[in-house]
Amino acid sequence: MRLPSQRFRRELRILIMLVLCGLLIVAVGPLVLDRYSVSILVRSFLYGSIAVTVDILWGFTGILSFGQSAFFGIGAYACGLAFDHFGISPGVALAALAAGLAVAGLVALLVAWLAFGARVSALYVSVVTLVLAIVFVQVIYAGGNFTGSSSGLSDFDTFDLSTAAWFRIAGAGLVVVTALGWIFVRSDMGSLLVSIRENETRCRYFGISVTWVKGGLLLASAIVAALAGFAYAGYNDVVAPDLGNFQFGTQLVIWVALGGRGTLIGPAIVAVLVDFVSAYLSGSLPFIWQLIIGGVFIVVIVAMPQGLGPACVAVIRRLIARPADAAPVAARLIAVPLRPTARGAQTPAIQLTGVTRSYGSLHVLEDITFSGRSGELVSLVGPNGAGKTTLIRCISDGEERTAGRVALQGCEIGRMAPERCVRLGLGRKFQAPTVFDALTVGQSLRVARSRIERLSFWRCADEIRLPEAAMRVVRATGLDTQLATTVRHLSHGAKQALELAMVLAMEPSVLMLDEPTAGLTKSERTVIGGILMELVAQHGLCILLIEHDLAFVREISSRIIVLYQGRIVLDGAVEEVASSELVRTIYTGEPQALGEPV
Amino acid sequence: MAEAALRLDGVTSGYGEAMVLRDVSLTLLPGEILTVLGKNGMGKSTLLKTIMGFLPPREGRVHIHGRDVTRLPPHRRAGGSVSYSPQDQAIFQDLTVGENLRLGLRSDRGAAAAVERVTAFFPFLAQRGRQPAGTLSGGEQKMLIMARALLSNPRLLLIDEISEGLQPSVILRLAEVLRRECAARELTILIIEQNLRFALSVASRYAVLVRGEIVDGGRVAPGVEARIQDHLAV
Repeated sequence: MRLPSQRFRRELRILIMLVLCGLLIVAVGPLVLDRYSVSILVRSFLYGSIAVTVDILWGFTGILSFGQSAFFGIGAYACGLAFDHFGISPGVALAALAAGLAVAGLVALLVAWLAFGARVSALYVSVVTLVLAIVFVQVIYAGGNFTGSSSGLSDFDTFDLSTAAWFRIAGAGLVVVTALGWIFVRSDMGSLLVSIRENETRCRYFGISVTWVKGGLLLASAIVAALAGFAYAGYNDVVAPDLGNFQFGTQLVIWVALGGRGTLIGPAIVAVLVDFVSAYLSGSLPFIWQLIIGGVFIVVIVAMPQGLGPACVAVIRRLIARPADAAPVAARLIAVPLRPTARGAQTPAIQLTGVTRSYGSLHVLEDITFSGRSGELVSLVGPNGAGKTTLIRCISDGEERTAGRVALQGCEIGRMAPERCVRLGLGRKFQAPTVFDALTVGQSLRVARSRIERLSFWRCADEIRLPEAAMRVVRATGLDTQLATTVRHLSHGAKQALELAMVLAMEPSVLMLDEPTAGLTKSERTVIGGILMELVAQHGLCILLIEHDLAFVREISSRIIVLYQGRIVLDGAVEEVASSELVRTIYTGEPQALGEPV
Repeated sequence: MAEAALRLDGVTSGYGEAMVLRDVSLTLLPGEILTVLGKNGMGKSTLLKTIMGFLPPREGRVHIHGRDVTRLPPHRRAGGSVSYSPQDQAIFQDLTVGENLRLGLRSDRGAAAAVERVTAFFPFLAQRGRQPAGTLSGGEQKMLIMARALLSNPRLLLIDEISEGLQPSVILRLAEVLRRECAARELTILIIEQNLRFALSVASRYAVLVRGEIVDGGRVAPGVEARIQDHLAV
């Protein structure tokens, strides 16, 4: 078993070698290439840098943006407008650069605000960015003489730099952007990006502000794109609306798909190659070059659906396979004590008053009032469709209920989003296993704990600190031997256990568990039942548990609430409820299925 | 001897480098109900995926009703006579309950009668035909999957952990429905379960899977529960 930092360092050595090679190529390029190639490659390098940002957004985080071109255009126009209207001087250049980056940043934040709300689908960001590119072009058209309208601006005085110097600046920029991006996506923070792509809801319930993470990422990539745009205008001495249109934005996405989503280097190389070859072919084969590029694209998509990058890597791996690379990589688990919580036993941990949830005229929950104290394990039972899961949803997301009040640890949740409820101490395990398929077990546990221990942007931690309870779930279900396994390959029951361990890793003080042991064997259930009882008795958690197995419920609960057709019909001590006639008739269908105490 | 409804000869299958099933052979005669039991990660769901063709076997052959289907894609195996009810909630969230059910049918002819027949098992489905299936509760979605699987009158039914999240009385009804369908129409069922009591109340035979191999099997008889528990506890 290798530690994440060992793999990271080994890969970093390869990266440093690649960076040095890249810089060397960039340094000697102008000496060996003809003048035309050098001048074309300046543009290709700048496009490559934006392709890298598109890959981080789309390939890793799942944000499909067609508007990265608009940020490139904003940067370019900041340069063009300033130099055209005010002439060139160091002051103007600096002010133009600052203004360009600021506008791009503000627009990125506006897009983030529009597109990354909790309740909009992932497709929405694609639509908003597409519109952004269209709006950009319209704004330029509407600018009249000031922006040069459809013909753009040209022949303004610009930096007095040779083509060779621009080649080196753009080339070094591409190498640096790719290398920084590469370190970022392989750091612990990189697994957070993937977890957002895989399951945004689960991330929110880990207390991760998904909107902020995505917004920050969009902001950073907008600034890189604007910087590239500024350089483009400074070098080419021409700006046109085409630089920011959605056709260019789409082209970037296609380059990323062609190079291989989630590989960074693939999209960077493909962007440079395709742009460079296109420039040559459009000169020598003016009418059919697009046909050739299109044909190549189809062949790659059909033959290598993952893109060129992964296909090349597979070939290289086969040529220089090293046994060390095959060794599984996982961090060590370290048990830590639960952090002490300073909560008075007087305030109820959960307090519901008149909570109602309706869909039109259908009332799924009606006038639910109850409270749960610290140190209490309240089981919620009732037939399928009684509203149990809906009730948990209403307690953990302020937007869910139609009426009524919910307080967690004495704080009214109002209309709070789940990530803010988590900050009040909430932890929620979903009914169906809700995990991150593309991460390993170890990475998942690390991400789950990210609110307590910050993730690094440039390193991989070798230790995963877990509170004792989470550790015991991991050990009892054998997950500790599967830390390097990709979650996709786990069995259904192991995914259930992993989600429970992840939720416990957050150290919640109010725990909502929706059938946490479904899919687990009897012995595993017994262990988990014991852990839950201990969390309640020794650490003063308040647990709300949905469970169908009444024998299990009887064994571990302090209190049982029976929900039937959206109303609480019974709320009382375990024996009183479990032996009541009502429960037998509405819930089990027949008395003998109730399960006698063991 | 009657032609087997399902026959596996030395099937080995897995994902990537990892082999999950090793040399599994089993035969189900028409009208039999076999339950495959085992701990998590022992290969139970992989077995069903291999039988359905979602995962091509590395070695061995799969025969359904006497036809070698080893190289056939899933949709051609399903071809009317086989139904598969997977573990992950496989419903179309945005379609209504009624639309989800009709997808289980090949043609519209006799659809109303068929839907009426299966909704009799779970009456709430008939009342909520127009409700989007995504708004059903977890347990209700399971019942919808079961009803849809029975809708096309399959001759072979593969069921993956259907009892998870169902209330006890529904589990009892489900066991009764499966036994009745089996007796009435020679339906053959392969059922994977974690709920031992339910599995043994339905099945006529059992098999225990440990690390991808069948280590025990036989007829369901009084006393086998303890014996199976031993395998599961290891």
